[in-house]
Amino acid sequence: MIICRCEEVTLEDIRDTFHTYKCSAREVKLRTRAGMGYCGGRTCRPAVDAVLEEVTGEKPGDDLPLKVQPPVRPVSLSVLGGDGDHA
Amino acid sequence: MRNRRIEEHPVLGSLRNRKAVSFTFDGKTCEGREGDTIASALLAHGIRQLRVHEESGRPRGIYCNIGHCFECRVTVDGKAGVRACMTEIREGMAVESGKVLPSPLNSSVFEADEMPRTYAEFAGKQKGDNKKEAPDA
Ligand code: FES
Repeated sequence: MIICRCEEVTLEDIRDTFHTYKCSAREVKLRTRAGMGYCGGRTCRPAVDAVLEEVTGEKPGDDLPLKVQPPVRPVSLSVLGGDGDHA
Repeated sequence: MRNRRIEEHPVLGSLRNRKAVSFTFDGKTCEGREGDTIASALLAHGIRQLRVHEESGRPRGIYCNIGHCFECRVTVDGKAGVRACMTEIREGMAVESGKVLPSPLNSSVFEADEMPRTYAEFAGKQKGDNKKEAPDA
């Protein structure tokens, strides 16, 4: 079952990574790239959090947070730089 | 091409007097109706695949259809990363599907010690060119 579509990470990948490396939720995320793709984790984040909580036993928001970063949507550099057509 | 539109809808009314708009998808001419999004116009032709995953090449189409997930991103008139589900078609618009991109740092493709150091080396390996490149002077 695919959890993160942008980076093509399956439930299996997340479970395997946790069992292989016995690591924190944050490390699972960094190793698999779940929730770190094009959409910025805006789509799969609740699923990634739930799976990580279930697999690693960590509550989201413990010492090593899986935080959300701005911007809310992917934007092109030309939008940020004030050049281009702002579409 | 097939037309899968509901022309008469009991609640939404009739589509018959909507102006036809033509555009191209990967060079093929498609016809939609005024007010269609790229995604809806293509869906009416039975085209659901809008891109492939940049690395694995697996097919992708609309997922949320409300502009949230960016799964439907296509290239419109040369501009990449445009959401097909949010963008209305215009006459003459050129839409290109998303393709596989090179992934020169993917360690499942290369052993660590034979990683290409330059893009030219990578491109050579992709072409199956095994000649060792002369190091840059
Ligand atoms: S299908 Fe989700 S942004 Fe278009």
